[in-house]
Amino acid sequence: MAEQETEERDEAAAKARFDEYVLPEVDVMYRVAMSLTRNSADAEDLVQDALLRAYRAIHRFDGRYPRAWLLTILRNAQVNRVRRKRPELLRDPDTTMERVADTSDGGRTAEELVVDMGFDAEVEKAFEGLPDKFREVVVMVDIDGLSYQEAADRIGVPVGTIMSRLHRARKRIKKQLEAAGLGPRESS
Amino acid sequence: MRLKRRFWRRNNAELNCKEVGQVLQAYLDGELEDADAPLVAAHLEDCRLCGLESASYERIKAALAQPMPEGADPEAIDRLRSFGQGLTGD
Repeated sequence: MAEQETEERDEAAAKARFDEYVLPEVDVMYRVAMSLTRNSADAEDLVQDALLRAYRAIHRFDGRYPRAWLLTILRNAQVNRVRRKRPELLRDPDTTMERVADTSDGGRTAEELVVDMGFDAEVEKAFEGLPDKFREVVVMVDIDGLSYQEAADRIGVPVGTIMSRLHRARKRIKKQLEAAGLGPRESS
Repeated sequence: MRLKRRFWRRNNAELNCKEVGQVLQAYLDGELEDADAPLVAAHLEDCRLCGLESASYERIKAALAQPMPEGADPEAIDRLRSFGQGLTGD
Protein backbone atom coordinates (compact mmCIF):
# COMPACT_ATOMS: atom_id res chain seq x y z
CA MET A 1 0.00 0.00 0.00
CA ALA A 2 2.76 2.43 1.01
CA GLU A 3 4.70 1.41 -2.09
CA GLN A 4 1.73 2.23 -4.30
CA GLU A 5 1.37 5.64 -2.66
CA THR A 6 5.07 6.38 -3.27
CA GLU A 7 4.72 5.38 -6.91
CA GLU A 8 1.70 7.63 -7.36
CA ARG A 9 3.53 10.53 -5.71
CA ASP A 10 6.56 10.01 -7.98
CA GLU A 11 4.33 9.91 -11.03
CA ALA A 12 2.56 13.14 -10.04
CA ALA A 13 5.93 14.83 -9.47
CA ALA A 14 7.21 13.65 -12.87
CA LYS A 15 4.07 14.96 -14.54
CA ALA A 16 4.42 18.37 -12.85
CA ARG A 17 8.07 18.63 -13.87
CA PHE A 18 7.30 17.61 -17.44
CA ASP A 19 4.53 20.23 -17.66
CA GLU A 20 6.80 22.90 -16.18
CA TYR A 21 10.07 22.23 -17.99
CA VAL A 22 9.30 20.35 -21.19
CA LEU A 23 5.98 21.44 -22.68
CA PRO A 24 6.89 25.17 -22.95
CA GLU A 25 9.90 24.17 -25.09
CA VAL A 26 8.03 22.15 -27.72
CA ASP A 27 8.09 24.96 -30.30
CA VAL A 28 11.85 25.44 -29.89
CA MET A 29 12.41 21.69 -30.18
CA TYR A 30 10.41 21.55 -33.39
CA ARG A 31 12.28 24.49 -34.87
CA VAL A 32 15.64 22.90 -34.09
CA ALA A 33 14.42 19.53 -35.38
CA MET A 34 13.36 21.21 -38.64
CA SER A 35 16.83 22.52 -39.04
CA LEU A 36 18.38 19.10 -38.38
CA THR A 37 16.06 17.07 -40.59
CA ARG A 38 14.92 19.67 -43.17
CA ASN A 39 11.59 17.87 -43.36
CA SER A 40 8.46 18.57 -41.34
CA ALA A 41 7.37 14.92 -40.93
CA ASP A 42 10.86 13.79 -39.85
CA ALA A 43 11.12 16.77 -37.51
CA GLU A 44 7.81 15.85 -35.89
CA ASP A 45 8.91 12.23 -35.41
CA LEU A 46 12.20 13.39 -33.96
CA VAL A 47 10.52 15.69 -31.43
CA GLN A 48 8.10 12.92 -30.42
CA ASP A 49 11.08 10.64 -29.85
CA ALA A 50 12.83 13.33 -27.80
CA LEU A 51 9.68 14.03 -25.74
CA LEU A 52 9.41 10.35 -24.86
CA ARG A 53 13.07 10.27 -23.82
CA ALA A 54 12.62 13.45 -21.78
CA TYR A 55 9.59 11.99 -20.00
CA ARG A 56 11.52 8.86 -19.08
CA ALA A 57 14.46 10.92 -17.80
CA ILE A 58 12.58 13.79 -16.13
CA HIS A 59 13.16 12.42 -12.60
CA ARG A 60 16.92 12.77 -13.14
CA PHE A 61 16.75 16.35 -14.45
CA ASP A 62 17.93 18.96 -11.92
CA GLY A 63 15.71 21.77 -13.23
CA ARG A 64 18.54 23.98 -14.49
CA TYR A 65 18.51 25.14 -18.14
CA PRO A 66 15.72 22.89 -19.40
CA ARG A 67 16.22 24.02 -22.99
CA ALA A 68 19.87 23.00 -23.06
CA TRP A 69 18.91 19.64 -21.55
CA LEU A 70 16.12 19.07 -24.07
CA LEU A 71 18.25 20.07 -27.04
CA THR A 72 20.90 17.58 -25.93
CA ILE A 73 18.22 14.88 -25.83
CA LEU A 74 17.03 15.97 -29.26
CA ARG A 75 20.54 15.83 -30.69
CA ASN A 76 21.13 12.35 -29.22
CA ALA A 77 17.83 11.15 -30.63
CA GLN A 78 18.90 12.46 -34.04
CA VAL A 79 22.24 10.62 -33.78
CA ASN A 80 20.37 7.37 -33.12
CA ARG A 81 18.01 7.95 -36.01
CA VAL A 82 20.90 8.53 -38.39
CA ARG A 83 22.56 5.37 -37.06
CA ARG A 84 19.41 3.36 -37.71
CA LYS A 85 19.18 4.71 -41.24
CA ARG A 86 22.91 4.21 -41.87
CA PRO A 87 23.87 1.03 -39.97
CA GLU A 88 27.45 1.16 -41.23
CA LEU A 89 28.02 3.92 -38.64
CA LEU A 90 27.47 1.34 -35.88
CA ARG A 91 30.71 -0.34 -36.86
CA ASP A 92 32.67 2.80 -36.15
CA PRO A 93 30.88 4.68 -33.38
CA ASP A 94 33.76 7.12 -32.82
CA THR A 95 33.06 8.79 -36.09
CA THR A 96 29.30 8.90 -35.68
CA MET A 97 29.10 12.52 -34.55
CA GLU A 98 31.44 13.60 -37.32
CA ARG A 99 29.30 11.85 -39.90
CA VAL A 100 26.12 13.29 -38.43
CA ALA A 101 27.77 16.67 -38.74
CA ASP A 102 27.65 16.12 -42.49
CA THR A 103 23.90 16.57 -42.30
CA SER A 104 24.30 20.15 -41.09
CA ASP A 105 25.21 23.10 -43.26
CA GLY A 106 27.82 25.80 -43.61
CA GLY A 107 30.52 23.61 -42.10
CA ARG A 108 28.83 23.76 -38.69
CA THR A 109 28.51 20.61 -36.63
CA ALA A 110 25.09 19.29 -35.63
CA GLU A 111 25.87 20.35 -32.06
CA GLU A 112 26.64 23.93 -33.07
CA LEU A 113 23.54 24.01 -35.19
CA VAL A 114 21.40 22.89 -32.24
CA VAL A 115 22.86 25.57 -29.97
CA ASP A 116 22.37 28.23 -32.63
CA MET A 117 18.80 27.22 -33.25
CA GLY A 118 18.08 27.32 -29.51
CA PHE A 119 19.54 30.82 -29.46
CA ASP A 120 17.45 31.91 -32.47
CA ALA A 121 14.28 30.51 -30.95
CA GLU A 122 14.89 32.32 -27.65
CA VAL A 123 15.49 35.58 -29.54
CA GLU A 124 12.20 35.09 -31.32
CA LYS A 125 10.41 34.42 -28.06
CA ALA A 126 11.94 37.52 -26.45
CA PHE A 127 11.06 39.57 -29.54
CA GLU A 128 7.44 38.45 -29.36
CA GLY A 129 7.31 39.49 -25.70
CA LEU A 130 8.48 43.06 -26.39
CA PRO A 131 6.05 45.98 -25.96
CA ASP A 132 4.52 47.01 -29.31
CA LYS A 133 6.47 50.26 -29.66
CA PHE A 134 9.79 48.44 -29.18
CA ARG A 135 8.85 45.58 -31.48
CA GLU A 136 7.83 48.02 -34.19
CA VAL A 137 11.29 49.61 -34.22
CA VAL A 138 13.07 46.24 -34.22
CA VAL A 139 10.96 45.14 -37.20
CA MET A 140 11.83 48.30 -39.14
CA VAL A 141 15.57 48.28 -38.46
CA ASP A 142 16.59 44.65 -37.91
CA ILE A 143 14.09 42.84 -40.12
CA ASP A 144 13.18 45.36 -42.84
CA GLY A 145 16.66 46.91 -42.86
CA LEU A 146 15.56 50.57 -42.65
CA SER A 147 18.01 53.25 -41.56
CA TYR A 148 17.31 55.15 -38.33
CA GLN A 149 16.16 58.16 -40.36
CA GLU A 150 13.82 56.08 -42.54
CA ALA A 151 12.34 54.41 -39.47
CA ALA A 152 11.90 57.80 -37.77
CA ASP A 153 10.15 59.22 -40.85
CA ARG A 154 7.88 56.21 -41.15
CA ILE A 155 6.37 56.58 -37.68
CA GLY A 156 6.94 60.33 -37.23
CA VAL A 157 9.30 60.37 -34.23
CA PRO A 158 12.83 61.82 -33.82
CA VAL A 159 15.83 59.65 -34.72
CA GLY A 160 16.84 59.71 -31.04
CA THR A 161 13.57 57.97 -30.12
CA ILE A 162 14.29 55.20 -32.65
CA MET A 163 17.77 54.74 -31.19
CA SER A 164 16.59 54.64 -27.62
CA ARG A 165 13.73 52.19 -28.32
CA LEU A 166 16.04 49.98 -30.34
CA HIS A 167 18.67 49.95 -27.63
CA ARG A 168 16.14 49.14 -24.91
CA ALA A 169 14.53 46.41 -27.03
CA ARG A 170 17.86 44.72 -27.71
CA LYS A 171 18.85 44.98 -24.06
CA ARG A 172 15.66 43.21 -23.06
CA ILE A 173 16.29 40.45 -25.59
CA LYS A 174 19.86 40.07 -24.36
CA LYS A 175 18.73 39.87 -20.73
CA GLN A 176 16.22 37.17 -21.58
CA LEU A 177 18.93 35.21 -23.41
CA GLU A 178 21.21 35.45 -20.40
CA ALA A 179 18.40 34.29 -18.11
CA ALA A 180 17.95 31.27 -20.39
CA GLY A 181 21.66 30.44 -20.12
CA LEU A 182 22.37 31.68 -23.65
CA GLY A 183 24.67 34.56 -22.85
CA PRO A 184 27.66 35.65 -24.95
CA ARG A 185 30.21 33.05 -25.99
CA GLU A 186 33.90 33.55 -26.66
CA SER A 187 33.55 32.29 -30.19
CA SER A 188 30.62 31.77 -32.51
CA MET B 1 25.65 59.43 -36.05
CA ARG B 2 28.71 61.19 -34.64
CA LEU B 3 30.74 60.10 -31.66
CA LYS B 4 30.39 62.67 -28.85
CA ARG B 5 33.53 62.94 -26.76
CA ARG B 6 34.39 64.90 -23.65
CA PHE B 7 36.74 67.75 -24.59
CA TRP B 8 39.59 66.38 -22.47
CA ARG B 9 39.46 63.09 -24.33
CA ARG B 10 39.20 64.48 -27.85
CA ASN B 11 42.90 64.19 -28.58
CA ASN B 12 43.08 60.64 -27.28
CA ALA B 13 43.06 58.26 -30.25
CA GLU B 14 41.71 55.38 -28.19
CA LEU B 15 38.11 55.12 -27.00
CA ASN B 16 37.22 53.82 -23.56
CA CYS B 17 34.49 51.27 -22.80
CA LYS B 18 31.94 53.93 -21.83
CA GLU B 19 32.39 55.81 -25.09
CA VAL B 20 32.05 52.60 -27.08
CA GLY B 21 28.95 51.58 -25.12
CA GLN B 22 27.26 54.85 -26.13
CA VAL B 23 27.66 54.20 -29.85
CA LEU B 24 27.83 50.41 -30.08
CA GLN B 25 24.26 49.97 -31.41
CA ALA B 26 24.76 52.67 -34.06
CA TYR B 27 28.09 51.08 -35.00
CA LEU B 28 26.47 47.64 -35.44
CA ASP B 29 23.66 49.17 -37.50
CA GLY B 30 26.14 50.92 -39.79
CA GLU B 31 24.89 54.32 -38.61
CA LEU B 32 28.13 55.64 -37.15
CA GLU B 33 30.16 58.27 -39.08
CA ASP B 34 32.88 56.73 -41.25
CA ALA B 35 35.56 58.61 -39.32
CA ASP B 36 34.42 57.17 -35.96
CA ALA B 37 33.78 53.55 -36.94
CA PRO B 38 37.48 52.49 -37.08
CA LEU B 39 37.98 53.81 -33.52
CA VAL B 40 35.14 51.59 -32.29
CA ALA B 41 36.41 48.62 -34.31
CA ALA B 42 39.87 49.01 -32.79
CA HIS B 43 38.46 49.06 -29.25
CA LEU B 44 36.31 45.98 -29.90
CA GLU B 45 39.37 44.08 -31.05
CA ASP B 46 41.38 44.99 -27.98
CA CYS B 47 38.74 44.85 -25.24
CA ARG B 48 37.46 41.36 -24.49
CA LEU B 49 34.35 42.52 -22.61
CA CYS B 50 33.21 45.02 -25.25
CA GLY B 51 34.07 42.47 -27.94
CA LEU B 52 31.78 39.91 -26.29
CA GLU B 53 29.04 42.49 -25.81
CA SER B 54 29.26 43.42 -29.47
CA ALA B 55 29.30 39.77 -30.59
CA SER B 56 26.16 38.98 -28.63
CA TYR B 57 24.28 41.94 -30.11
CA GLU B 58 25.46 40.90 -33.57
CA ARG B 59 24.07 37.41 -33.00
CA ILE B 60 20.77 38.87 -31.84
CA LYS B 61 20.56 41.00 -34.97
CA ALA B 62 21.36 37.98 -37.16
CA ALA B 63 18.75 35.84 -35.38
CA LEU B 64 16.06 38.49 -35.79
CA ALA B 65 16.65 38.61 -39.52
CA GLN B 66 16.10 34.85 -39.86
CA PRO B 67 12.71 33.49 -40.98
CA MET B 68 11.07 30.26 -39.68
CA PRO B 69 12.70 27.25 -41.42
CA GLU B 70 11.25 26.59 -44.85
CA GLY B 71 8.70 23.77 -44.97
CA ALA B 72 7.80 24.04 -41.28
CA ASP B 73 4.22 23.08 -40.46
CA PRO B 74 2.73 25.47 -37.86
CA GLU B 75 0.14 22.83 -36.85
CA ALA B 76 2.91 20.36 -35.99
CA ILE B 77 3.64 22.33 -32.81
CA ASP B 78 0.04 21.91 -31.60
CA ARG B 79 0.14 18.19 -32.39
CA LEU B 80 3.44 17.81 -30.53
CA ARG B 81 2.10 19.68 -27.54
CA SER B 82 -0.92 17.33 -27.46
CA PHE B 83 1.45 14.38 -27.75
CA GLY B 84 3.43 15.70 -24.75
CA GLN B 85 0.28 16.25 -22.74
CA GLY B 86 -0.78 12.72 -23.61
CA LEU B 87 2.40 11.37 -22.05
CA THR B 88 1.44 12.82 -18.69
CA GLY B 89 -2.19 11.77 -19.06
CA ASP B 90 -3.62 15.32 -19.40
